[in-house]
Amino acid sequence: MKYVDEFRDAELGRVLAAEIVASVEPGRHYKVMEVCGGHTHTIYKYGVDDLLPENVELVHGPGCPVCVIPMGRVDDGIAIAKREEVILTCFGDMMRVPGGSGTFLEAKAEGADIRMVYSPLDALRIAKENPEREVVFFAVGFETTAPSTALTLKRAKQDEVGNFSVVSNHVTIVPPLRALLESPDLRLDGFIGPGHVSTVVGARPFEFIPADYGRPIVVSGFEPLDLLQSVHMVLRQLAEGRCEVENQYKRVVPYDGNPAALAVLAEVFELRPHFEWRGLGFISSSGLKLGPDYADFDAELRFGVPGVRVADPKACQCGEVLKGVIKPWECKVFGTACTPERPIGTCMVSSEGACAAYYNYGRFAREREVV
Amino acid sequence: MTQSGPTASCDEGHCVTCADEAVRMLVLEADGAGLARCEAPDGAHTEVMTDLVGDVAPGDALLVHAGTALARAA
Repeated sequence: MKYVDEFRDAELGRVLAAEIVASVEPGRHYKVMEVCGGHTHTIYKYGVDDLLPENVELVHGPGCPVCVIPMGRVDDGIAIAKREEVILTCFGDMMRVPGGSGTFLEAKAEGADIRMVYSPLDALRIAKENPEREVVFFAVGFETTAPSTALTLKRAKQDEVGNFSVVSNHVTIVPPLRALLESPDLRLDGFIGPGHVSTVVGARPFEFIPADYGRPIVVSGFEPLDLLQSVHMVLRQLAEGRCEVENQYKRVVPYDGNPAALAVLAEVFELRPHFEWRGLGFISSSGLKLGPDYADFDAELRFGVPGVRVADPKACQCGEVLKGVIKPWECKVFGTACTPERPIGTCMVSSEGACAAYYNYGRFAREREVV
Repeated sequence: MTQSGPTASCDEGHCVTCADEAVRMLVLEADGAGLARCEAPDGAHTEVMTDLVGDVAPGDALLVHAGTALARAA
């Protein structure tokens, strides 16, 4: 396939890997965080990290939106779903995310009408087909996904679909990165920046990372060669004493993002004063809620939700995994009490989650063998 | 249904939400009002919102995430 096969070429991969080996300083340990869950998935699916020298460590960041949903928000969704008139819709990867009172899948088994959709537009279609029911879309995602929710809400308003509403759990990428960089237990040399978030926001919002924290960042595509090249670009910046935002994914990412997408986000959403992130706690100005012009479509206002904060399970170390402080397999319950079939932590739920990626691609067994 | 097949599953290998995944699709037909019927690599047909990429025509390649074209693909 055009623009896919070229970025999976094994020979080019070996050439890049050799260049990476040549660019690292012997005796120095490099920690580079890939922010995005999609990158984590590619790294383990294709064994990208196997091509890196031992002293280059990839650390997995908080860029899986399902993994950062706190338990209380899941409980809020279940409370709405249990109302007789409601059809709750969500992406499939939300179905097994544990809340304090179970998962959407368990609520569905108990009789709640919860349906998986592939896009918010599907949820709006269900609303139009079921005018006697209230159809709620449980929205998750970073700036990549939020425009889809925003455009759907514009259509709902335009078509006067009164039985459609949204629980917005949309989040923004810059505040958690800033929080990570402020974290005293974290030492990172550089970042691999999220590719498709950047199609919306551009690469410019990441300029604070080199400017304020002296770390390089390279916005990266999702194929194996994209990631190898991005790692190489970060290491080259470090070797040359440079520190800037570079865009490896120029074939898709404009430096200033997509103005139409940014405009629709500004029209429909506004920043919450703070939003809770699983494992990371409350982060200021990091969540999006529906703005005043779309308040009629805000399911939290329409139905009222418990809004109770539920502490993360003590055994689960998702927070440390999301901050890159520990590897997934170092968590006490990884692969034993916590598996993709019965996840305790959200990092084990989504295929983009660091724990699930480790588990599904055999890292669990391999790491334990090494130990 | 706007979905005639599984363009993205939430199983091993793909996660529709997440967050940073996008699928390259080809436009089959456009309604001129911000919606287009598109074909995914696996042959499935999906209705896609194209408001963010301007006018599209059959044969155009788009990068689609959660039912919205985020960018044009080469």
